[in-house]
Amino acid sequence: MTTSLPDEEVMLMVRDGSAEMLGVLFERYEKPLFNFYVGLTKDRPASEDLVQEVFVRILKYRRSYKPGTNFRPWIYQIARNARADQMKKNVPHAEQTEAAEPMQAPANSLESDQQHAILRRALDELPEEKREILLLSRFQGLRYEEIAQMLGCQVGAVKVRVHRALQELREVFVRLERGAAQKSTAAGANYEM
Amino acid sequence: MKCEHAAEFIPDYLEGTLKPQDAERLEAHLESCAQCGKEIALARELTVLPTEEPSAALRTRFEAVLAAYEAGRRAGVARAQDAREPRAWTWNWFRSPALGFAAAAVLLVGGFLGGRYETNTNGPQSHDEVAALQGEVQGMRQLMVLSMLQEESASERLQGVSLSTREEQMDPKILTALLHTVRYDSSVDVRMAAIDALSRYGNHAQVRDGLAEALETNQSPLVQVQLIDLLVQLHDRNIIDQLHKIEQDTDVNPAVRERAQQAIAQLS
Ligand SMILES: [Zn+2]
Repeated sequence: MTTSLPDEEVMLMVRDGSAEMLGVLFERYEKPLFNFYVGLTKDRPASEDLVQEVFVRILKYRRSYKPGTNFRPWIYQIARNARADQMKKNVPHAEQTEAAEPMQAPANSLESDQQHAILRRALDELPEEKREILLLSRFQGLRYEEIAQMLGCQVGAVKVRVHRALQELREVFVRLERGAAQKSTAAGANYEM
Repeated sequence: MKCEHAAEFIPDYLEGTLKPQDAERLEAHLESCAQCGKEIALARELTVLPTEEPSAALRTRFEAVLAAYEAGRRAGVARAQDAREPRAWTWNWFRSPALGFAAAAVLLVGGFLGGRYETNTNGPQSHDEVAALQGEVQGMRQLMVLSMLQEESASERLQGVSLSTREEQMDPKILTALLHTVRYDSSVDVRMAAIDALSRYGNHAQVRDGLAEALETNQSPLVQVQLIDLLVQLHDRNIIDQLHKIEQDTDVNPAVRERAQQAIAQLS
């Protein structure tokens, strides 16, 4: 199912009874939402459950979607609420997954892969609120304006939060990078002996 | 330019919306400031981080829900056309001994609340009204929920369900009423909203049992799938036998049977 219609038009069709058009939105948002949740939770099965929950909620609340509403902030707001409700439920997930797996770069990988791995780890060390704003603005590519709509705050406040999060990200990154460099020197020394 | 000054520019710079003359000033600062430069470099790196692929099961589950939803809606339309169907659940409601008190109380305050309602159109105002009432009379909100769950219009019942979720401690009477709604409400939307509201109380055995019973009797595929999703989330292994029955029942919607099969694997 492909169409070049904007998200908003598609969502209006869903709202007005063409539930099958939700497939178009699923196509467009399945992967971004999944990566948003993996970034937040580092739990793949839980992330899939949450993506599923988002689309069930869209069906359920489709009538509350008003013409003229920017779709991206709307769906990400649903996504945040779904996550918040899941945390409230506090049901431990079946098994802890290989969550940390993708963050560990293999020893012989390219330098840029190692940089990415350190960046991921740095991101994971941030408090959830900071991680979330970076995931939304950088990884998911939401505009500040859209994030402001979603959070119900001023654009200026979003920019301040983005910058604070970036500052902390840099600090953590530099610390981890230094640690990694020390470790690899130590490993190198061992190898020599 | 100092770093604090640069900080104001960096977010817009990243989005490409910084005025050219400010961008020039920022870039001049970046030539001499490694810290701000690093921030920008990392921010750019974030946009090209490798992404992960969800499993194919995610799409399958989505399609199952969508199919179940469509089937449920067709069934709903058919039901609405059969206008002679009696609203038996209303009577069950009053017969239920656990709700005897609640029903009586609702009848008592019903006129009062009804009166307050007429002065308002539906919409946000009635929520304010509800909030105000809650301050006036203790426990009124619970009565309100119980009363709204019995309204003729599905949207009023939906409001009742959403009102119930504002309670910090769920009243046992409301739990019972919501479970009743899950089983007997004529609207799929209301039933699903009630399941949602109950999902926060999955640690109550009463809720888990009630949901499992609802799974036994519910005819709407969409509701069935939602019930299974929730019971799996709650790790309710008691429903495994029931899931086997659903899976083997050829009268059940195929999407629901497929979900039941997955659920058995998830719970085993
Ligand atoms: Zn600087």
